[in-house]
Parts: sequence; structure tokens; C-alpha cells
Amino acid sequence: MKQEILQIIMGFIGSLGFAVLFNIRSKRLCFAALGGLLSWGLFVLFSLFLKSEPLNYFLVAFIISIYAEIMARILKTPTTTFITTSLIPLIPGSSLYYTMAYAFKSDANNFFIKAVYTLELASCLALGIIVAVTLVQIITKFKTKKSNNC
Amino acid sequence: MENLLNCAMDIGEQMLLSGAEVHRVEESIKRICRSFGAKRTDVFIITSSMVVSVFGSDDKTYTQTRRILNSSTDYEKLHKLNELSRKICSEHLCDPKIIKDELDKAISCKTYPFWLECVCYSVIAGAFTVFFGGGVSEMLVSLVIGAIVRFGIALCETTITNKIFSKFFSSVIATAFAFLAVKSGLIPNADNVIIGNIMTLIPGIGLTNALRDLFTGDSIAGLLRSIEAILIALAIAAGYFLVVVLGGLIL
Repeated sequence: MKQEILQIIMGFIGSLGFAVLFNIRSKRLCFAALGGLLSWGLFVLFSLFLKSEPLNYFLVAFIISIYAEIMARILKTPTTTFITTSLIPLIPGSSLYYTMAYAFKSDANNFFIKAVYTLELASCLALGIIVAVTLVQIITKFKTKKSNNC
Repeated sequence: MENLLNCAMDIGEQMLLSGAEVHRVEESIKRICRSFGAKRTDVFIITSSMVVSVFGSDDKTYTQTRRILNSSTDYEKLHKLNELSRKICSEHLCDPKIIKDELDKAISCKTYPFWLECVCYSVIAGAFTVFFGGGVSEMLVSLVIGAIVRFGIALCETTITNKIFSKFFSSVIATAFAFLAVKSGLIPNADNVIIGNIMTLIPGIGLTNALRDLFTGDSIAGLLRSIEAILIALAIAAGYFLVVVLGGLIL
């Protein structure tokens, strides 16, 4: 458990670093970095009762995208600001590295396993975002239709 | 109308340059042109080029094209531009001069100083080294290498403005210093240090944006972004391979 808490804190610091690199300022900086804390926190929470890591990625990406959409509407800024910074801890950096390392050792078996796994994680991440974005689009469409009728 | 279209193009161009999604820029330009009184607006944007045709209230068609080079990520600028386009639509600003002034104000927003960027690179690298299971000594080495990588990128920026080569070069620096640290006995294993530093270079954001563009219907923009992300990943891998092979030959 100690390792997990350390990971959550480090994920937060990493997100904060990226948020500064992307020149996010004032209130938006806090919430962008907070998203990083939230995303890995949720991942750790879900991994207690979810065996499948890709599914976990999908769920976290989905929830974080909703969080990003909400924050973007409150703070009146593009959604990307929060999505990109919040999902930083989920980027499959280590599995990409091990894919590379196995390729170098000509370990074809492990290379394929890791490469497919990396792709799986990345596409689950994207899928989570897409489902959330589409959902929000549907909701906003309904809302504008209603207001047009009035 | 021509001047107004020019303003809309300027705003769109700056949005793309600061890392906005294609979809958002298309939407903004359409809205701005509508508030200028255009009867019909056709917008086609990919990450490297934009074409806008406007059928104005004077029954004439105006078309402009812009080539987009070297986009970066600057969400503060994007935020300001977004505010500006909202303002144009809600207040029906129609004076090119006022819009130009506002745009200049939005573009010249502050950026963080270079030293802070170095600190960020080093902190990110250190944080992710620990994140992926590194110890204290590995974190310290990672902190130093992160800052060195930022200097390497700065060096690339002043000499060669090629994004892919700059990633390759940074990857070489990160891997080389990590292995040097292992050789000199500072750390037992280079893996976590390299992973931490790769996190600052990785096109993770590029890839997720690319997939998002693809699935929301901007196929060409999505493909362009995906290819860029894949090339960057390959460049990082190539840098790693170069160091490992050369290191194997020398040591």
C-alpha cells in the first residue's frame, strides 16, 4: 500500500510538471494537476477489485474525461487542457520501454506480448476518452435543442 | 469581409499553433465567420494546413489558405484565444483593428522561464522514476539527467528545427547518461532512470489526440498525428538502440 501512495503522489508531481510545461496558469494549473492525482488514485482504487488492467485504463480515462469536461465548462477553457495533463500517469511509458528492450535483446516472444499490451493500453485510454466525449456531445445536443424550442 | 476573414484565419492559425484540436478550430472559425455576417462558411483544416472559404453578405466568395508549421503546446495562449473568439461571437465585434489588437494581446501572453522548464523536466523524470519503482539514488540521477535532456532539446532548437531528430537526440542523451551512471556505480540498474526520462519525451498526448481525431471524424488530421506519434516513438527507440549498440562495442 505504501508503494501505491508513493505512486499517487509521484503521479501528481509528474502531472504538475507537465501542466507547467504546457503553460497552464492560475486556477487551471491546480485542477489540471489535481486530475493527475485523481487518475492514478482511481486506478489504484479500481485495481483492488478489477483484474484486467486495460479495462481499468478504459474506466479511468472515461471518468477523467468527464471530470475534464466539467472543469472545462466551469473554468471556461478548452477541454484538452485537463484531459492531456490528467492522463499523464496512465501513459504506458514503462511497457513501451520494455517493448524496446525486448526488441533489442531479440526476444521475439516477449517483444510481441509487450508490444500488443502497450497498444491495448493506449487504445483503451483513447476509447475511454472518445466514449466520454461522445456522451457529452449527446447531452449538450439535447440541451441546445431544448433551449431552441423555448 | 476580406479583412474580417483575415482576422478569423489569424485566430485559427494561432489556435492550431498552440495545440488545439482540429475540431475546435473548425468550430471557432465557423462561429466567428457567422457572427461577421457570412452566409456560408466552408472550413477544411488538418494539422499542417487550413483552407477557409466564406460566402459573404456582399454575395462574393473569399478564400484563404494558411500553412501551419511547428505547432507546440501552450494552453495559456489557447485559453486566451478561446476567450477572444467567444467575445467576438457574443459582442459581435466587427472591427478588424480592434480584433487585431485583442489578438496581439492574446498571443503575447506570458510563458514560464527557461530555468523553470529545466526544473520541470528534471522533476517529471525524477517523479516517474519513483513512480515505476525506482529508489532514491535512481531518482537523484534521473533529476540530473532530466535537466540535461532539456538543455539537449534547447541545443536542437537553436540548430536544427526538426522535432523527430530532437527526440532522437534527447533519447540518446538520456540513455547514454543513464548507462554512464550505472558504469560509475551510482545506480544498480538503468531501466527506471531511462523510463522516467522517456516519459518527458513520449508522444502519449500526441497519440491520444490522434486517436481522438480519428474517431471523431477528422480522419486525415488523425492519420497525420498518428504517423507523427509513431515516428517519434521510433526515434526514441532508435536513440536507445544506438547507445546500447555503441556502448556494447566500446565497453
